[in-house]
Amino acid sequence: MAAVDVQRVNGTSHVGDWPDRYYHVDQVLDRPGPRTDPSFMAGDGVKDFLRNQCKILVIGAGGLGCEILADLALSGFKDIHVIDMDTIDISNLNRQFLFRPKDVGKPKATVAAEYVMKRVPGTKVTPYYGKIQDKDDDYYMQFNLVICGLDSVEARRWINATLVNLVDPENPESLKPLIDGGTEGFKGQARVILPTVTSCYECSLDMLNKPTAFPICTIANTPRLPEHCIEWASVLEWPRVQGDKKMDTDDPEHIQWLYNIASARAKEFKIEGVTWQLTQGVVKNIIPAIASTNAIIAASCCNEAFKIATSSAAYLNNYFMLIGTDGVYSYTFEHEKRSDCPVCGGESLEVSVPRSWTVERLIEMLVEKQDIQIKKPSLSTATAQIYFQAPKQLEEVTRPNLEKLVSDLVPDGGDITVTASSLPFSLSLRITYV
Amino acid sequence: MSFSESQDLETATTAIQSQPDNKTRRYDRQLRLWAASGQSALERARVLVISASALSTSLLKNLVLPGVGHFTILDHHATRPSDIGNNFFLDPDASLGRNRAEEAVRLLGELNDGVEGHADTRDIADVLALGAEYFSGFTLVIAVNLDPSLVEQLSTLLWQDAACPPLIVVRSAGFIAEFFVQFHEHDVIESHSETAPSLRIDKPFPELLDHALQLDLEHMDPTDHGHIPYVVILVRALEDWKREHGGSPPTTTADKRAFKDAVSALQRHQDEENFSEAVANAYRAYTTTGVPSNVQALFDALPDQLSPARPFATLVAALQEFTKQPPYALPLSATLPDMKSDTESYVALQKMYGRRAEKERGVFRELVNKLSAETGSVIARDVVDLFCKNAHGLFGLQGKRWGDLDTSRERLVELLAASPRETATHLALSALSTWLARHSVAHAQSNGSAHPNSQTSNTELRPTEEDLLALVQGALGDGVELGKEVQDAVGEAARAPTADLPNVAAFMGGLVAQEAIKMITKQYVPINGHCVIDLVDTWTGVINA
Ligand SMILES: [Zn+2]
Repeated sequence: MAAVDVQRVNGTSHVGDWPDRYYHVDQVLDRPGPRTDPSFMAGDGVKDFLRNQCKILVIGAGGLGCEILADLALSGFKDIHVIDMDTIDISNLNRQFLFRPKDVGKPKATVAAEYVMKRVPGTKVTPYYGKIQDKDDDYYMQFNLVICGLDSVEARRWINATLVNLVDPENPESLKPLIDGGTEGFKGQARVILPTVTSCYECSLDMLNKPTAFPICTIANTPRLPEHCIEWASVLEWPRVQGDKKMDTDDPEHIQWLYNIASARAKEFKIEGVTWQLTQGVVKNIIPAIASTNAIIAASCCNEAFKIATSSAAYLNNYFMLIGTDGVYSYTFEHEKRSDCPVCGGESLEVSVPRSWTVERLIEMLVEKQDIQIKKPSLSTATAQIYFQAPKQLEEVTRPNLEKLVSDLVPDGGDITVTASSLPFSLSLRITYV
Repeated sequence: MSFSESQDLETATTAIQSQPDNKTRRYDRQLRLWAASGQSALERARVLVISASALSTSLLKNLVLPGVGHFTILDHHATRPSDIGNNFFLDPDASLGRNRAEEAVRLLGELNDGVEGHADTRDIADVLALGAEYFSGFTLVIAVNLDPSLVEQLSTLLWQDAACPPLIVVRSAGFIAEFFVQFHEHDVIESHSETAPSLRIDKPFPELLDHALQLDLEHMDPTDHGHIPYVVILVRALEDWKREHGGSPPTTTADKRAFKDAVSALQRHQDEENFSEAVANAYRAYTTTGVPSNVQALFDALPDQLSPARPFATLVAALQEFTKQPPYALPLSATLPDMKSDTESYVALQKMYGRRAEKERGVFRELVNKLSAETGSVIARDVVDLFCKNAHGLFGLQGKRWGDLDTSRERLVELLAASPRETATHLALSALSTWLARHSVAHAQSNGSAHPNSQTSNTELRPTEEDLLALVQGALGDGVELGKEVQDAVGEAARAPTADLPNVAAFMGGLVAQEAIKMITKQYVPINGHCVIDLVDTWTGVINA
């Protein structure tokens, strides 16, 4: 049977295009709908932009990423870049449909890109096997749109802050719409972020599920749940017994060791329910994931990208969440920008602390507080260093401050600047005492 | 994830002591949702999908990946260039001109070696003429953008015989779409309800009450005092309250506040987190444990005559009998949430709940045995126990036939007022499907193709907005005003009448697969009615006949 021919359409070269290839998509590009903005340029203009000019970046080639790449390619995006730092694991195969058992161990970005290019001819997918932090502003500047399909909060905060910082009011091209998706089991959400214009990822940090954290005294002294025994094995026993050896949660032997230790502890305390899979789930913080939910959320993200790139319909303003556990429930709403957002708000975050708090206690609060969540923060005022996590010498010099009272270092109403190596922005706290 | 889910997984897989096998590792992320029981239901399932459109293969992908047992695609069309343009599971190098079902089955099959795929290249109209037998071999039938007269025939056929599988009807046009799940009854034991079962603090069982009363709160050692589980504190505080109030629990707002203060007064110092928990959970002590509304609805819907054909009803009837006896509540759950305590007190309390739950389960089993004997039902003991364990989250859905919604003008008008955009979108899709069917017949006579998506001269197959508005008006009756929502939905339908957009196909493929998994595993709660979506404004909604 003959392969479909590469054709020339309207005198422009569309590598891989054939008559009727875009029969479906063109129906919404050839004419507006009742709710389409009047500025929509139906027909060849918009098709040319979508297929020949628009450059889109996909962050993540996992559960959402595989779906996103396929959807974008079929929608007619021809210049797609994808970044992912992971390699393929067997547990990816129940949903990451561009991978096969023979691909286990290979980089996700590379395998996904090749597969999509094979199945959707004429699409160029450029993979990068590495971290988003490896790339600079010039790299991100080249794209028209960015779609994020990540499971890491840290990485999303990084790309969000990077794209907000990229905005130059003098240059409209510098505003890169960021579309972000996430799933957990039968639930998920998709959102459109116009950096500096709409609410950003950081603005909504308090909407995240609170990570399950067990107090160390429970783990050490009064375990009640199998999870407590597993945490005891991984947090306390591993460093005590294994010393400096790094725990690798992808190594089955390490999980086996933790499982054995946790089981022994559970037996000692007559606690039931420690299993291999629960051990793995707790130490890797596994979130259940299925193909269908990823398909919904990825499609929603790509649909917004398609609408933004073509103006064929209004795009999402700005948050869509879906719950599929009990019927199909969804909620579309506008998430409000926070004026004290450390990334896009400009105002300091008001924090009131007891006068009795030490610097160490304040740091503990910054790590835990739902709308801040900064791991390893470094603190300073306009005139003095309070505590720095790195470099080593600076840490040693500032360490004695940990035990000092915040109120001895910062006046009432004074500002503290918080930075962390994982985040490309600083947080300004206005301290008041209670 | 919540740890209650992981505990469910644990109970299903207690035998695993070393690294799981490859299959368990492959399905790990979904086993944490529906456990081994859901997985085996999925692996036994046989799904029929009618048409190999982009939407069809998108949804099948989401069933093949998690390991559905068998799927058949029924489609007699040859692959056209436009099909390859929007369908990831047709091959640009090989599929053109070949049968769509065969090509899609081949490429979907690559996703999972453990799944059996079959292509049926007959015309659906011919298969329908053979009767219900063919369809009764499947667990679930899904019809995607099928001609309305064929959907009518298919839904009637499957509705008539209770042995026939449920049917999901899917329609889409450009940015709008909907699906409907047709079933007679759908019973859910494992709904994975996020509402925790009652701890019955207001109706403590004897052992718990004795334990709480024996505590010498005043003279207790400080360490022990700081470790009494809040459940025990509340049972005790409530009992003390009742003794001082003529046996009545707190009822008025003032009472409740006073009770809370009384609990608070027991706290020796602020560091006693167990007492802080007791104060925060004080409402549990004065909230009467009864039958939850979802379970009451099941009692209310019980048939006069129990039949061995539906063991679920027998179980529900036994449960109702159970709740007619003191303490007029569901069987106690053995699951105790975590609470501030020391290991010993917590484990002791857990064991106490476990013993009581076991006892009540025994009473429930007796009731089931008695009723089963009367009705001639045979119900496996593990089913009885599963039912008992999940009693607080039971659901029983009474389904409707496809098309019921459209037979009542009154209901449509009512729905249009109550859920304007959802109903308008449903009406626009109905009007479009009627229009396409009429015109494709005329088209076929001159063209030799009966498929509404036939693209040999696709520009001819486009209704005007007026065409569709007239059909919507006809469905609602004259005099009903067609508002902006109808204009918007009809406008989108007329704009892209035969467009199966890749993103909409993927979105619908995901939604329909979620429902298919819920129907097949009988876990979680599927929709009952029409689920309507609009991807211009990005929303979903459910309407019911
Ligand atoms: Zn912000």
